[in-house]
Amino acid sequence: MPARNNEQWEQKPDLKKGEWVDSRIYSDEEIFEEELSRIWKKAWIPLMHESELPEPFDFRTAIIAREPVIVVRGPDNQIRAFLNVCPHRGMALDRRPAGSFLQGEPSGNAKHMTCMFHGWQFDMKGNCVEIPREKAGYQGRVTKEGQGLRRLRCETKFGGIVWVCLDDKIDCDVEGWAAGSLDCIRKSLDEEPLEIFHYHKAIIDCNYKLWHDTNSEFYHDYMHYHNRITGFDDAYFARECSAFDNGHVNVGTFTVNYGEYEVAHDRGDLTFPHLPPNNWYMVDMFPGVNVNLRGSALRMDLMTPLSANKVMIEFRGLGLKSDSKKVRDHRIHHHNTIWGPFGRNLHEDLVGVAGQGVTMMPNSEPRRILHGRHEGLYIHDEVGMRHFYDTWGKWMDRLPSDPGKKYEPGLVVGPEMPPAKGISIFPGKGAVAAE
Amino acid sequence: MSANGTNKTEMVKDAIYQACLNLDEQKWDEWLGQCDENFEYSITAHSPEIGKDMKYLGLNALELKEYFELLPKHNTDHSPLRRHATVYSVSVDEKAKTAEAVTSFLITQEMFDGVNAPLDTGENHLFVVGKYLDKLKIENGHAVFTERETRIHTRRLDKGSHWVF
Ligand code: FES
Ligand SMILES: [Fe+2]
Repeated sequence: MPARNNEQWEQKPDLKKGEWVDSRIYSDEEIFEEELSRIWKKAWIPLMHESELPEPFDFRTAIIAREPVIVVRGPDNQIRAFLNVCPHRGMALDRRPAGSFLQGEPSGNAKHMTCMFHGWQFDMKGNCVEIPREKAGYQGRVTKEGQGLRRLRCETKFGGIVWVCLDDKIDCDVEGWAAGSLDCIRKSLDEEPLEIFHYHKAIIDCNYKLWHDTNSEFYHDYMHYHNRITGFDDAYFARECSAFDNGHVNVGTFTVNYGEYEVAHDRGDLTFPHLPPNNWYMVDMFPGVNVNLRGSALRMDLMTPLSANKVMIEFRGLGLKSDSKKVRDHRIHHHNTIWGPFGRNLHEDLVGVAGQGVTMMPNSEPRRILHGRHEGLYIHDEVGMRHFYDTWGKWMDRLPSDPGKKYEPGLVVGPEMPPAKGISIFPGKGAVAAE
Repeated sequence: MSANGTNKTEMVKDAIYQACLNLDEQKWDEWLGQCDENFEYSITAHSPEIGKDMKYLGLNALELKEYFELLPKHNTDHSPLRRHATVYSVSVDEKAKTAEAVTSFLITQEMFDGVNAPLDTGENHLFVVGKYLDKLKIENGHAVFTERETRIHTRRLDKGSHWVF
C-alpha cells in the first residue's frame, strides 16, 4: 500500500480485538495514574533479592507506585517490609538506597531505625520503641504503642526474591500470584541459595509497558541483527510461549548456539542446577518484571513506572552463593557479554524502546500498535503481549484497543492461525514442524 | 626523581592522553596498537545498592579486537562520547621498566540521537565519571598499556553503550 492519507492512517486495522492496542495506553497521563492505583498498588512486586541485605539489620529502599518502601532483615533473619515513612511528620525513615542499622546515626541508636528529624525510633519489626519526651509532649495522647510503622505484605520466595505488595487485602500469596509461570525454573532457583553480582539501572523516556513488550516478544530479533545472522537455527524458532493466570507469560527453552557467536564462547560448561546446558527460560510477569535464566546467569529486570512516559529499569544479575571466584567470574563474563550495559543486546533493546517513547509522548496523536502476529505460539508469535493486555484490560476495566471503552471479554489471545504443518516458520531456515 | 624518571613519567602521560584522543575519535585499532598483546581491559564499579564490587565488562586484547569488529553489526546510539582526563599520578618502577598511573576522567555525550533527536541534538551532557587505573610497560622509548581498569562511579547508564570507555 502506498503511504496513507490521514483518513486511511486513522482507520482501524483489519485485525480482531486483542490484536492491536491504542497508543494512548502508553501515553495518557490519566490512564497512567489509574494504572498505579488499580495495578501497581494491588500486585505482588519482586523488589529485590535477599542477598542485597545479607546480614541482620541490613536494609534496602525501593519505590512501588510512588510509595517509598524499606525492606529490612531482622535479628531473627526475617525479611520484612514497611512504608519508608515516619508516622510523626512524614520524613523518610532512611534516605539511603541500602545500608545497615547495626551502627548508630547522629540522631539514633544502633539496631534501630531512627527518623533523624525528631528522633522517633523503631525496631526491625516496625514497633515504635522511642518517642523523645513522649509524656512531656503528648501527655498520653500519642504513645509508642499506637505509632508502629505501616507494615507491608512481604514474602521471600522463588530463589530468595523479596516480594512486596501494598495491598493488605490481596487475595493470594506469591505462590498463587505466580500461577505456575515460574515452575519451569523453580528447581533451578530453589536448589541452593543465589547471590546477586550485578546491578545497574536505566531511566528511559518511555512507558513501562513498552519495556515489558520488548521482553515478551522475540520478533524484534531483527533489531539484534548480529544475533540473528550468527546464532539462530530451527531450535530457536521452535521455542514456545505459554500464558498463565494474572497476565504472566513464559517462553520455553531452546538451545542457543553460543559457539557461533564470535565473542561469546560456549556456555555449555556452566549452568544453573537442573538446567540442561545452554537452555534458556524467560518469564515475563505482570505488571513489569522479567526473569531470565540463560545458561550460567539469572537476570531480573524490574520496572518502576515514574510517569506515562518515564520508567526506571533496574537490571540485576545473579549466580549461586556457593560459586568459587573462578566460577563467578565466568558467570559475570557470560552475563556481561549479552546483558551487561556494554553487552550486545541490552543497548539495542533500550535504544528501541526509547525510540517508541519519542512517538508516544503524552498527548501525542493516538495510533494503533499492532500485536497481531500468530505463529502457532512459537517464538515470533505475539501472544505474550496479547495475553498481557487482556489481563491489563480486565484490571483497568478498559479496552486496550479503545481505552475510553470498558473491557470486554473475548479478545483474541491464543492461536488464530497456526502455521501449516511442515511449513517453515522462518523462510530460509528450514522446516519446523508445527504440531 | 631522576631526569630519566621524569622522562618516563612524561611517556606514560603521553600514552594516556593519546589513548583518550584515539578513543574519542573511535580509532579502535590505533588504541589497540597502544596496548600489549596480553592487554587486559575491564570496566568496574562499586554498587553501594547491593554492596558489591562489580565488573561490567572484562575483555583481553583479542576479545577487544573481536568486540570492535562487531560494532558495525550492531544498532548503536550515534551520540559521540568524549573524555576530559587529568593524569593524577604516575609511579615508575625504574628497574622493572613498568609504571602505574591514575587518571581521573569525565565522559560527555554529544547528543545526536539523544532521546528525541530534533530537540536534543547538539546538546552535551555528562555521561560517566570515573578513573583509569592503568598499568604500562616502557619499551623502545614509549609506554605500552598492559592493563586498564576503567573504574566508573556511574551506575545509572540509561541506554548504555556499545563503545567502551
Ligand atoms: S518526622 Fe520522623 S521523628 Fe519527626
Ligand atoms: Fe532484545
